[in-house]
Amino acid sequence: MKSAISLTAALVFFTIFSGRAFSQMGPDIQALLDSYKKSAGVSEFSAAEGKKFFNSRRVHSVNKEERSCSACHTVDPTKQGKTPVGKVIEPMAPSVNKERFTDPKKVEKWFKRNCEYVLERECTPREKGDFITYMFSI
Amino acid sequence: MKTRFVIAICMVLASLSINASIPAYADRGEEGEEEYMPPANDPLYKEECSSCHFLYLPGFLPARSWQAIVKNNDKHFGENLALDAETASRISSYLTANSAERSGSEWSGKILRSAGSGTPARITEVPWILKEHRKISKETFKRPSIGSFSNCGACHPNGALGDFEKASVPK
Repeated sequence: MKSAISLTAALVFFTIFSGRAFSQMGPDIQALLDSYKKSAGVSEFSAAEGKKFFNSRRVHSVNKEERSCSACHTVDPTKQGKTPVGKVIEPMAPSVNKERFTDPKKVEKWFKRNCEYVLERECTPREKGDFITYMFSI
Repeated sequence: MKTRFVIAICMVLASLSINASIPAYADRGEEGEEEYMPPANDPLYKEECSSCHFLYLPGFLPARSWQAIVKNNDKHFGENLALDAETASRISSYLTANSAERSGSEWSGKILRSAGSGTPARITEVPWILKEHRKISKETFKRPSIGSFSNCGACHPNGALGDFEKASVPK
């Protein structure tokens, strides 16, 4: 009986602990953020600015459609989104999706693809830094 | 008596498990072609090409179509995929080696014959595929549960495994 209780306690502890660990930023992403800080010439990024950026809409010059990050990812990054052709996008927030923001190369690839899709240009280091900071804040 | 009964039960179970191990899509079509399509199994292709849309099977298009799609990846239906040269070349080789000409699928044969000498720019332009979906209205494809004609998996739950026989249109 005693061992059952301690096993349960250990499991509960592990679940809470690992849940926290998953949403912590890894050293590779920290280094990526640091490089953005250097390029942007800022000492801190803003989660509030990141949220604003994530939700800001823009009409594409060719397609005339209104586009935004949240149009596909939804306004709540802890929820699943959908691509323009209907495929499910797993949540963006690392608190619910531990695979997000773990590989800097992948992060850069998606900024490149999706910034061009929404903004018709690359994102600035500041925009990227604010975006990642927002994602880790929720 | 009891032993005989147990043996009989075992034999029935054994025959069931043999039947279950035969894949449902193994029906052979004419000329030895198979009525299913080999699934896409290349990790790089999966990684780069199935985040935004269905993991299209290489047997869906002729090699010349795949080559054009990869070559024009900076203008991919309104998106710039920004594939680096090595990634593009590896994906193009994989698709070419497994394209409709080489998949061994009866459906690929139909796709090729219907395309004739043309180079379909997308799967949803292939005449045979359009014909097979002629009874599905444009409005149906626009349902939120489907999204678009390009979203094969919405109606073909085993499509990614190469089985397109099974289809159910969600409401």
